[in-house]
Amino acid sequence: MNKLYLWGIIITAVMLAATYISVSMSEGGLNNDIVNMLAITGAVALVIITVFVVIKYVRQMQVDSATGELTEDNWDGIGEYLNDVPTGWAVTFLLLMVWGMWYMTVGYPVQSYSQIGEYNEDTAAHNAKFAAQYKDITGDRLVEMGESVFLAECKVCHGISADGIDGKAANLNKRIDAIAVKHAIEYGSNNQLLGFMMPMPDRNGLMNANAGYAPITDAEIDTVSAYVANGMTGDGADIFAGTCAMCHGADGTGVESMGPNIKKFDIALVTNVLNYGKKGGIGAMPKFERLNAKQKEAVGAYITSLSE
Amino acid sequence: MFHWLEKHPFFFAVGVFLVISFAGLVEILPNFAQQSRPVIGTAPYSTLELAGRHVYIKNSCNACHSQLVRPFKSETDRYGHYSLSGEYAYDRPFLWGSKRTGPDLMRVGNYRTTDWHENHMKDPAGVVPGSIMPAYRWMFTNTADIDTAFAEQLTVAQFFSVPYNQPVPMKDGSTKVVKMGGSVAEANALALAEAELIAADMKDQDVKDAVANGQIPEIVALIAYMNSLK
Repeated sequence: MNKLYLWGIIITAVMLAATYISVSMSEGGLNNDIVNMLAITGAVALVIITVFVVIKYVRQMQVDSATGELTEDNWDGIGEYLNDVPTGWAVTFLLLMVWGMWYMTVGYPVQSYSQIGEYNEDTAAHNAKFAAQYKDITGDRLVEMGESVFLAECKVCHGISADGIDGKAANLNKRIDAIAVKHAIEYGSNNQLLGFMMPMPDRNGLMNANAGYAPITDAEIDTVSAYVANGMTGDGADIFAGTCAMCHGADGTGVESMGPNIKKFDIALVTNVLNYGKKGGIGAMPKFERLNAKQKEAVGAYITSLSE
Repeated sequence: MFHWLEKHPFFFAVGVFLVISFAGLVEILPNFAQQSRPVIGTAPYSTLELAGRHVYIKNSCNACHSQLVRPFKSETDRYGHYSLSGEYAYDRPFLWGSKRTGPDLMRVGNYRTTDWHENHMKDPAGVVPGSIMPAYRWMFTNTADIDTAFAEQLTVAQFFSVPYNQPVPMKDGSTKVVKMGGSVAEANALALAEAELIAADMKDQDVKDAVANGQIPEIVALIAYMNSLK
């Protein structure tokens, strides 16, 4: 027998034995573990195929001799056989060319990865899911959503319980603070953003019409501010009726296209503040563009529910 | 030439390196330069804002706060639009930061206000329950260094052509002119005028008095810088 076959058998036996020993000693053993079984099957196949292939080509090197027709060219005694291009090689070559053309024209330009592209897809998918899931929510569900948005976005200024953290921001558990009422009376307010016809004038009246004879005194401002801040109770009803009721209604709930509701919050009011921000007696509030329309509505519903 | 190169592999390798490097530069540099050009809406820092930026750096705010919003939905929900390279065009050095012990501040000017910063820098846990940020009370008494900020403005205007006193395009189609003083006195006057606007929105009487007396506490400069981050 050729020495080559003998070596093949010895190597195969040693490798299989080593495989058997290492697998049977490992956790799970030989027969109880499907992964080990698969591994040993693969190892056996690999060992046998490797040995067969190696033997085939080593034998070929040992016994084969070159035959066939040579080309006319000759390079320092090294010639070339006149063989056809191997079929498998030729097919692979052509397929690669086709693939290369596809990749350069369609594959890379259309399917290449882009971080911003992935972000845009993520955002679009999320927005679509949000719209589908929360399109029709109302009532308590809307208030719940508003609360969670509030706790994420608004609590840093207005506090977890929306009390304004000792006057650092507006206390949202009531419609309006006396300090904010006072500021609005003294300096006016640009409520045109809400769709009302006129901005609220300052204490001098529209176009300074009141300048000179001061229709409202400092004491009256303090009284009516306390009256409004207390939810239209206490002293000051007469001042309110005389000065404020024309635009804000006799009970302070607002008059359409004249003045907003200053007795209770409503969703339109809160949404407007979120859209445009606010600067008043207590401080400045930035606008919150990053909330979507539904989230703003929900915050409005939540804040409205706080003072009910 | 080529025969000589073929016989000298070392110099051949050097030649290959040079050719590839040149091709790389031609491909990369123009794109890089384009990307780092200021985007529309990015304006240079005013004197006071720059002084605030120095306060920010001096107190190592960047050790806990990043200034880089990544393009993830979770980040843009919280901080606003993801950052673009051109937005850092006037940042020398940029303050991206690598750790977020506190939140990102890239666009803090969009969603926090002067009075909030004032309360927060005095007592962070008083506004954000459970906050581990320390209070920075000395900023209310230390005076901001306007002269150094002006020196930096002069330098960047001279060497990097930062467009001070020139119209800069903004997002809404308008233009904005960021002024730089012609002298130290003028720069201080400009910074003070800006500081007065900030102090008007603040509550701390000592700060208001200081600004009224022509002193600019660090907190005012820092708030000006925070408000400019949009």
